Amino acid sequence: MEKHQYSRFNETIYSQKMDNGLLVQVLPKKDFHKAYAILTVDFGSIDRTFVPKGQTDMITIPDGIAHFLEHKMFEKEDHDAFDLFGKLGADSNAFTSFTQTSYLFSGSDHIHENLDVLLDFVQDPYFSAKTVEKEKGIIGQEISMYDDDPNWRLYFGILGNIYPQDPMHIDIAGTKETIAKISADDLYTTYNTFYQPNNMNLFIVGNVEPEATIQWVEANQQAKQFDEPTDVEVSFELNAPDGSDVIPFRTLEMDVSRPKVMVGIRGLKEIEPGREGLKYRIAVELLLDTLFDDTSDKYLELYDNGTIDDSFSYNFEMQRGFHFAYFSADTDDTERFSDEIVDILEHANDYLVQGQDRFENLKRSILGRMIGMMDSPEAISNRYAGKLFGNTNLLDEVEILESVTFDDVLSVIPEFIQPAGISVFHIIPRNN
Amino acid sequence: MHFNLTEGVDLSIIKTSQFKTNQIIVNFATTQTEKYITARSLLADVMETSTQKYPTQTALARREAELYGMYLGTNASRIGNLHNIKIRASFLNDQYSQSGLLNQVIETLGELIFRPLVNDGKFDEATFNTQKTNLASSITSLNDDKQYYASMELRKLFFDNDSAMQIPSFGRVSDLEGLTAAKLVDVYQEMITHDKINIVLLGDVDEQQALADFSQLKFSPREIKDTTVLYRQALHEVFEKEEKQELKQSKLNLAYRLPVYFQDTKYYAAIVMNGILGGTPLSKLFVNVREKESLAYYANSNFNAFNGVLTIQTGIESQNKGKAIKLIKQQVAAVELGDFSDELLQEVKDGLVHHFLSGLDSSSNGAERALMNDMFDNEKTIDEVVGAINAVDADAVVEVAKLLKLQAVYFLNGESI
Repeated sequence: MEKHQYSRFNETIYSQKMDNGLLVQVLPKKDFHKAYAILTVDFGSIDRTFVPKGQTDMITIPDGIAHFLEHKMFEKEDHDAFDLFGKLGADSNAFTSFTQTSYLFSGSDHIHENLDVLLDFVQDPYFSAKTVEKEKGIIGQEISMYDDDPNWRLYFGILGNIYPQDPMHIDIAGTKETIAKISADDLYTTYNTFYQPNNMNLFIVGNVEPEATIQWVEANQQAKQFDEPTDVEVSFELNAPDGSDVIPFRTLEMDVSRPKVMVGIRGLKEIEPGREGLKYRIAVELLLDTLFDDTSDKYLELYDNGTIDDSFSYNFEMQRGFHFAYFSADTDDTERFSDEIVDILEHANDYLVQGQDRFENLKRSILGRMIGMMDSPEAISNRYAGKLFGNTNLLDEVEILESVTFDDVLSVIPEFIQPAGISVFHIIPRNN
Repeated sequence: MHFNLTEGVDLSIIKTSQFKTNQIIVNFATTQTEKYITARSLLADVMETSTQKYPTQTALARREAELYGMYLGTNASRIGNLHNIKIRASFLNDQYSQSGLLNQVIETLGELIFRPLVNDGKFDEATFNTQKTNLASSITSLNDDKQYYASMELRKLFFDNDSAMQIPSFGRVSDLEGLTAAKLVDVYQEMITHDKINIVLLGDVDEQQALADFSQLKFSPREIKDTTVLYRQALHEVFEKEEKQELKQSKLNLAYRLPVYFQDTKYYAAIVMNGILGGTPLSKLFVNVREKESLAYYANSNFNAFNGVLTIQTGIESQNKGKAIKLIKQQVAAVELGDFSDELLQEVKDGLVHHFLSGLDSSSNGAERALMNDMFDNEKTIDEVVGAINAVDADAVVEVAKLLKLQAVYFLNGESI
């Protein structure tokens, strides 16, 4: 077991890699009442082309399998894992992103039993034709619900513009047509390939004793048989790495009260995973904060002239194999909004230099938010991105943040902001 | 520890080293009136935009960044018949930032509370007009969230027509029209002079120092009249409404009167009953409507212990409306008849205990809980709350379930028009 102390924050992380390759990390918080554990598989909705375990040729599975699998993992032949957590007084949940699938529980009692339930249900698949068919109804409803959500449509609208030929533009849950094709066999093939312990990690935060907790996991894993681990071979190649397929503009008509607009920017530089990748993310976030957050003069100008209001937001997402930023608002003048945002992006260098006097305070502000997140077991463990950022956690991130200089931020501008990656998506009220 | 800063202004300091962040809530409460709900909501927005010392939101935002990205915000909310303007600050402990941060945060709060950007008896016109426009837009945009929209329509059906409960706590667009920058100053004066004020500070602080810092805020004494906080209404006939919109998923919502309130002896029985009916993933609605019948993507219930109402909300396919209503009513009837296992009862109680305990692991939640306890003079220890939940038995659940009376059914029909 390895022990890493972060004395500045009075926190310690204990970690151990199990014989089967499962990485376990524990951050004890003794004043807390609950424990939160999250088991993450390095597999998400974009991982649709891969070599199945034990075979040699690539196959492509229907969109939506990662999410479908997440739903179906809970259901077993004679019980539902959800109920097992319920009987132990714990909450459980799961979610799927483009590149990860996570299963979690939060409990204030019976932590050992809850951990066993978590590991057992994720490591013991049961799929049948009947239960797979039934799930199609439930997931179909979920897809319909998101279809009615203008903010979701806006988000996938811009993804459809910047990644028109790549799997990121497809709803994580798939479509009603693609999920109709999913069979129990597909689920087993996918499961056996990706849900290998060496492709998973377990993060536990809260009121637990670290040595005992790691021993519980070890005992659980040793009692099970696992096949020899194999390396997962996934094919993920962008259709056009130079962004030549980016659609600059699209509009959707929908039943909304006010128009909505999103400007997207696709990062065209390939970012190597590891600590450097995290540094890149922080530098881009600092860049965006300096240009767009409410401490900037430009923000005030746009707010006061009605281009933006409190609905304005922006975000930067970096996942395995791709990264992008987006800026959105509800506004009566969608064109003015997109023109202004694009103008700031195109003159990012000038705006950044103008904002240099705010740079240290913005860093301090992000530092404050990071330390604030350390109060949340969910934030600490959900933020852990495994191999993507070289196994760094929130506590390491503070150190990286402090190392980022103004020049680092200047130098990400030409890497991240390239005209070919910029696109705009509007949603306008149907009756206009 | 409790302190009285002046008549009608109470301060509670909850010292804990559990968190790296501290929380402050300053709550201004008054009996809600139809006339002032929207005005107070706008006032909350205007107050968090600027002050004399920080005359633009940018100036204020820069101050917040300087103070290690402290969060400072205001909002309007409701507890039963009380309308609240709540100012909330969240910031790092001195230990993780710099010595004296607490003092600077309280000073900044003081700016927000006592020195709004008012000149010649009017709020700054530009700020006022922008915030008025923005509040109108944000209220209008809420209609795009169909779950939310359906819940608002249901509340209009449930609450008596002449009740201020008809108005959401953030106000109505139609009430914004007559407001002016001068009239809003009157609303501010009324609040700062007469509202009941409760302040909560939770965090790793020196209590005497914090008390001294808060004593710098010069609140005037105010007389607090006894008000009826809990909202009660008589039974009315069942009101039904159906509306069509072009949507893929329809929403079916029901409201029941449940005259059980926070602090009542039946309060814990009511929250357990809600947990069995639809408040948890183990509940009857979740298991029977969502899971077994695959009828809904979501099906759950909520109990409001200040308004005496329990609501049920579902997202369904349009053609399943009749089937869903029947199934929902069957679940309510089953709970009334005691048709639930001891096992489910125990699981719901364990889940509620876990929720209560895990709430103690969030500093903002801890501050909210302390505020409620102060406002209702209802301090309970952790063991007392856990004990009260565990003491609920099947008979108590049946007894409160029998109090449920259907009052409203709202259906947002997503069938193609």
